[in-house]
Amino acid sequence: MTAPTETSAPTSSPRAARKHARSGALRRIVAIARKEALHVQRDPRSLYLALGMPIVLLLLFGYGVSFDMDHLPVVLVDEDRTPESREIADRVFASGDLHMVGRASSGDEAHGIFARREAHAVLILPRGTSESIGRGEAVEAQLLIDGVEANSAAQLQGKAESALRSASLAMSVEAMGPRAVAIPTEVRLSTWFNPEERSQLYLVPGLAAYILAIVAVLLTALTVSREWERSSIQQLFVTPVRTYEIMLGKLVPYFLLGVVAEMTVFVVGAWVFDVPMRGDPLALASASLLFLLGMLGQGMLISIVARNQMVATQVATMTSMLPSMLLSGFVFPIENMPLPLQVISNVVPARYFIHALRGVLLRGNGFPEIGFDLLMLTAFACLMLFAGTKRFKRELA
Amino acid sequence: MTVRSIVVEGLGRRFGDFVAVRDVSFHVEKGEIFGYLGANGAGKSTTIRMLSGLLEPTSGRALVAGHDIAKAPDKVKASIGYMSQKFSLYLDLTVRENLEFFGGIYGSWGRALSRRVDETLESIDMRSLAETSTAALPGGLRQRLALGSALFHKPPIVFLDEPTAGVDPASRREFWKLIRGISSAGTTVFVTTHYMDEAEYCARIGLMVAGKLVALDTPAALKSEWVPGRILRFEGEGLVRALSEIRRTHGVVEAQSFGNGVHVRFDPGHTTDQSVLAAVAALPAVKVRLTEPVEATLEDVFLAAADRKAEDAVRGGAS
Repeated sequence: MTAPTETSAPTSSPRAARKHARSGALRRIVAIARKEALHVQRDPRSLYLALGMPIVLLLLFGYGVSFDMDHLPVVLVDEDRTPESREIADRVFASGDLHMVGRASSGDEAHGIFARREAHAVLILPRGTSESIGRGEAVEAQLLIDGVEANSAAQLQGKAESALRSASLAMSVEAMGPRAVAIPTEVRLSTWFNPEERSQLYLVPGLAAYILAIVAVLLTALTVSREWERSSIQQLFVTPVRTYEIMLGKLVPYFLLGVVAEMTVFVVGAWVFDVPMRGDPLALASASLLFLLGMLGQGMLISIVARNQMVATQVATMTSMLPSMLLSGFVFPIENMPLPLQVISNVVPARYFIHALRGVLLRGNGFPEIGFDLLMLTAFACLMLFAGTKRFKRELA
Repeated sequence: MTVRSIVVEGLGRRFGDFVAVRDVSFHVEKGEIFGYLGANGAGKSTTIRMLSGLLEPTSGRALVAGHDIAKAPDKVKASIGYMSQKFSLYLDLTVRENLEFFGGIYGSWGRALSRRVDETLESIDMRSLAETSTAALPGGLRQRLALGSALFHKPPIVFLDEPTAGVDPASRREFWKLIRGISSAGTTVFVTTHYMDEAEYCARIGLMVAGKLVALDTPAALKSEWVPGRILRFEGEGLVRALSEIRRTHGVVEAQSFGNGVHVRFDPGHTTDQSVLAAVAALPAVKVRLTEPVEATLEDVFLAAADRKAEDAVRGGAS
């Protein structure tokens, strides 16, 4: 039982020694990766996490967190009672954005309507509406809005205004011919990249970053803390294995899982929410893999420092969820944040990933446009893995 | 010619102000079973951690399999096996997968790996359990598997840190059979233990008290040095209460309660079995039911050494 081991076999030249050391490192990394894959296989919770959670979250958020509103309930008060006022009402409600749920005789009933939550707004067409149309003048309609529903209030105002304006304008033109109508100065909107202004196009890339951040950080957060708890890490460290080899070996299976999660998110995004792919797929892949590596590295670092699976899970959830939701530009535009938060957002990798994703998917960007994002994602991934290796060595001594 | 597997010279380790190991020197021969005894916190584990390249010493030096532990910890790690008191293999893996993993870590690959796995399973007599989940193994078998993976890469030296802690006596005996087997095959075994009966199996024993190596010798030599004399065991009534009177009996060196009886040690140059027996039986309120001569145990040695160390500390004469 005392034959010299393969690993300590004497090597003749420095070159052979280096080659020997390289193949040894590779073998150790492969051994760690295989073992880690077995853990995943035995405890399929990480599989559910990587494969199930992205789909569930994407559908939940994609449908639930839509900022688009239609069928906003409105009660109509037609004080004019003319064919013209009836027609303008028909036209306003024809688009489907606003939905007439009833009629009232006067604006005084609005209080009761809001209190009973029958509608979010009351639209009043005053007496003289038909004359205004006949003369080609602006219709002075009144809109009473329930301000408690703050989100729909803002949209109601915009939608009602534009619907009224275009309806009355069209009717004036029909009645008097285009020459006679004084068309007010108007900004002609032309929305690029998202002509239908669907908020899902804007949300899904952010959502992808958010979901991948959570999944990736959680995937690795348990991998080292589990070994601290079981004290198997001690056994590992009396072998010739090096800290970076443990980290790389552990990354491999979770990286593969993460890639599957990323592809799931993009496929579901394209399929269910019609998110286009206008830019360079290679640029998209680079950004995604770099972001994944950074998030896996973050989870690994947490796992090394926490030494305890409970703490690791909590820290992982907090540090991945909050910044990638609140400080990444996913929900709140970074330009609108108070300055301190803007500064902090500079170190949130999701910010660069979302920027790159929106660029490549929607604006048709390639490597040149998202170069800075890729640089920052690379820097973050390197920082996390480097810090992890350093901490690992220190925690062990 | 004897070959020294482990050479330790003035080894020490402090953590801040606390000195965990102080100026320890010894050496271990090739193929020897070297026992390391001491209370919890006496510095046993710290010594093992230094010798296995996990922890750098703060003073002194040590050679393990010819490699300096401070300068070449990686070479040390490649030439030792290590098994800790806490089971540290992977419970969700099967017996074979655990062995394959550690084989891979030591650079074994492909056919050589699977051949070595089979060999190891054979040597720890667990071939039929190869595909069993490790979680399903009882404690004794887990320890055997841990020993198997510590020996997987055929290290010339193996460190066993309380390998049988919490294992039933039958399994402990089996385990020690394995240890004697690997030792006679030429592997050096460095073992720490709490169990004094196990320590008897060791060729030599080092005794750690409060970070210092206070004694080092064969079990027999340690006994005659630290607990000289003859020991009689008494069982009966009123014995424990009469301990101080027994100690004052002519020729008696020491009297201690031990289990449900009392051990009385005396100097056979000054008195005899008969006169000690008579003196104890004559004490008031003492009824002797049974008397028998007993051998000194390593536990006696351990207690004596710990006592002397405490006395030294009280006198302020810690050497």
